[in-house]
Amino acid sequence: MVDIRLASEVPLFDIVADSTEPKHLVTPGSLITKETGFMRGHGTYMQDDCLYASVAGVVERVNQLISVRPLKSRYHGEIGDVVIGRITEVSQKRWKLDTNARLDSVLLLQSVNLPGGELRRRSAEDELSMRQYLKEGDLVSAEVQNIFNDGALSLHTRSMKYGKLSQGCLVKVSPSLIRRQKTHFHNLPCGASIIMGNNGFVWICPTLHEDVAGGFVQNLETVPHADRQAISRLRNCVTALAQCKMMLYDTSIMHAYDASINAGFEIKDLLLPDKITEIALMVRKQFEMEKE
Amino acid sequence: MPVDSRRLQGPESAFSYTLLEKKDANAEESILSADLQKMLIDSNHVRKDKRKPTDARPLFLRTGIISQAKGSAYIEQGNTKLVCGVYGPREVQKKSDFRLNGQLFCEFKFAPFSCQKRRSHQQDNEELVLSGLLREALEAAVCLHHFPKAQVEVNIMVIENDGSPLAAALTCASLALASASIPMYDLVIGAAVRQLPKLLLLDPTKDEEWQPKLNHDENNSNLTVGFMPSMQQICAYVHEGVSNPEELEQMLKIVTEYCLKVQPVVQLCLKETVEKMLASEGENNDAE
Amino acid sequence: MSIAPQLLRGPSLMAEILLSEAEKAFIHHGDDLRCDGRTRLDYRPIILETGLVSNASGSSRLRLANSDVLVGVKVELASPLSEKPLEGRLEFFVDCSANATPEFEGRGGEDLANEICRFLQMSYMSGDTINLSELSVLAGQQCWVLYVDILILECGGNLYDTVSLAVKSALYTTQIPSIKVATMDGDQPELELSEDPYDTKRLNTQNVPCLVTLMKIGNHYLVDPTPEEECCSSSGVVVAVSGSKKITAVRKIGSGSLHPESLVSMLKTASEVGAVVNKILMKKLLEEETAGKTQKVGFMR
Repeated sequence: MVDIRLASEVPLFDIVADSTEPKHLVTPGSLITKETGFMRGHGTYMQDDCLYASVAGVVERVNQLISVRPLKSRYHGEIGDVVIGRITEVSQKRWKLDTNARLDSVLLLQSVNLPGGELRRRSAEDELSMRQYLKEGDLVSAEVQNIFNDGALSLHTRSMKYGKLSQGCLVKVSPSLIRRQKTHFHNLPCGASIIMGNNGFVWICPTLHEDVAGGFVQNLETVPHADRQAISRLRNCVTALAQCKMMLYDTSIMHAYDASINAGFEIKDLLLPDKITEIALMVRKQFEMEKE
Repeated sequence: MPVDSRRLQGPESAFSYTLLEKKDANAEESILSADLQKMLIDSNHVRKDKRKPTDARPLFLRTGIISQAKGSAYIEQGNTKLVCGVYGPREVQKKSDFRLNGQLFCEFKFAPFSCQKRRSHQQDNEELVLSGLLREALEAAVCLHHFPKAQVEVNIMVIENDGSPLAAALTCASLALASASIPMYDLVIGAAVRQLPKLLLLDPTKDEEWQPKLNHDENNSNLTVGFMPSMQQICAYVHEGVSNPEELEQMLKIVTEYCLKVQPVVQLCLKETVEKMLASEGENNDAE
Repeated sequence: MSIAPQLLRGPSLMAEILLSEAEKAFIHHGDDLRCDGRTRLDYRPIILETGLVSNASGSSRLRLANSDVLVGVKVELASPLSEKPLEGRLEFFVDCSANATPEFEGRGGEDLANEICRFLQMSYMSGDTINLSELSVLAGQQCWVLYVDILILECGGNLYDTVSLAVKSALYTTQIPSIKVATMDGDQPELELSEDPYDTKRLNTQNVPCLVTLMKIGNHYLVDPTPEEECCSSSGVVVAVSGSKKITAVRKIGSGSLHPESLVSMLKTASEVGAVVNKILMKKLLEEETAGKTQKVGFMR
């Protein structure tokens, strides 16, 4: 019922973090290069023809462009990213969403599919009944359509796979832990679906069926117990991996899920610090085995 | 409330002369519950004010005591006397507090001379907490969605405190809200009970209330409940002192039974208010 | 059993978050299986450490999931209150700093701090919990005052329980110096502090209460609510349960209401849960004490 442990008994999570080849790490103000001819990217500044870092992080170089990837950041949107956002405000012709980005993202009325087909014209009535489609607190999956000058993201849901999310569980992780993949929608074999938002919002829900997605209807029927178990276990696996700074994508999550079942852990066991490290180590071992 | 600078504030070390009163030798130290019980009740189970343990004090209710308020009420429960004024609904002043539902603001204040010890003009910690309790209790009863973006203010001023002030305040506030025609799901009736080891005293006076300074050897406590009789719901519940869950169940039963008895009294008072209003309207119409 | 009129707004004393209707439904329908796999009566894992602050007479840091609380106890001499000349006293102060959550900025956390503070005071007042006459030094003239300062470092739901456990742990480790009343020299009695800094006494904290918060969701109630669960619930109770399983203070929280029957069953459950929590906490504190000087972890993780 209650698990109290002393701080000295709790393992450190960091030991699991992948330690691949050493990277070029910098702190604000440290010199990156004196050579000229490079382009100044994010996280850097120029002074006296030298390039300095303005954030702590890893130096990345793409051709002539040098940038510093910060160790922790809010979400930087890129066009085409799949994101999950929560509606925070309904205003004229647009919704505002929290997507873990610096500024609130925008979902224009014209970039959603309204019931009645894609070619339907937006009337004044639609403008007035926006709150009926999406209201404050609702979650949507969407795609980044455009980035405004100030860095705010403009989203769209004009595809059947995007739209209002129904019952399920949201996990917030750092955006840098989400691996970019061809698809961010996965129907996992354990009986649940997962949407890995590029912005670090991970949505876990009962298996999605293509035909119902994309609408504005929420299914409020009780989710079967077996599905809930799968969702809860997945949720705990995702938070466990995130705590150990492991990359999140369908394979790593399924490995964690299977490992937790094989080890005979109960779902709530996955909240315990020692079990979390254990799972992370097992996942890493699994990957190493697969490499060989 | 700002401090009145024209009035001489007593030095902080001032204390009531009643503390110098000669007391029983063991009064200062821990009191055995049996002695305590003897102090509060005689061998025939009659309390100091001639009540039986399960009797409440006489209750007096009146509405419309503050003519300029939207609604107001006065309650007298033995020597506990307090006034409640209700203002609003009106637009929420602070824009940052925007909410789609209506909001309640409650202020619970003891008049400086209402207790044995002098109270400060400023709201002290206890008053702040009582205000919060009152708000949470009334929020459950008031149909807040009927006045979106607006606020209603409920002010309680205790004129004389002779025990169970929160219970009286709950009844009084719901009566004031009702007389201000604020839509409510149900009336809120407040009641308090004092637990002695083998006895429960309904509606305790100041002397009968549980006091923390005594180290009791057995279970002793005080319970105040806000009850909505028609809905059978509890909207306030404050318990201080030591009890077992079983004893709390017993106390709750007594209190809710008492609330059911008070409900018709409050209803009657409201009915009279409405009748009076109708009568005066009738007169006005006749005059035309 | 009728359900109270559902109000859209959650309990006022918690950090407010937004949830969609469907997410709320998902939490409501959880049939003894919560989103993180716990049953209704499970706590999240708790991490505890005492003796972190060298300048305090007793201190502890307690983490319950994302809620993080640091408590320091300072022992000072003062004259007793005129109405309680034979007792020392405990003074609680809760600081909800803006670090915990941005909503606490400015005066934002004040109400919550006040409420926690007052409830702690209420639950410690009855004679069953802590013997305040132990803190008297010189009857009517000098007594020990224990300033219990509670710093909320991070707010992740269920503050009442977290704070109470941390306070109990800090009081457990609090060292009160030995002080002797020297012979009356003329009229003035003289106080003499023991020269040995290790000559200290400790309070008996066996019966110090732990707070148990039960939130009502649908027709059930659960312990240790997450912020999401707090958002779904309109009412609950906080119950102070002493080591001897007795209830020392109760108050309803939130703007909803409760049926008498469910309230009674909540109180019974709370006293069972509180007794278990108390027992386990005492066991762990003893364990840490007997382990002796281990490396302090502190904030270095």
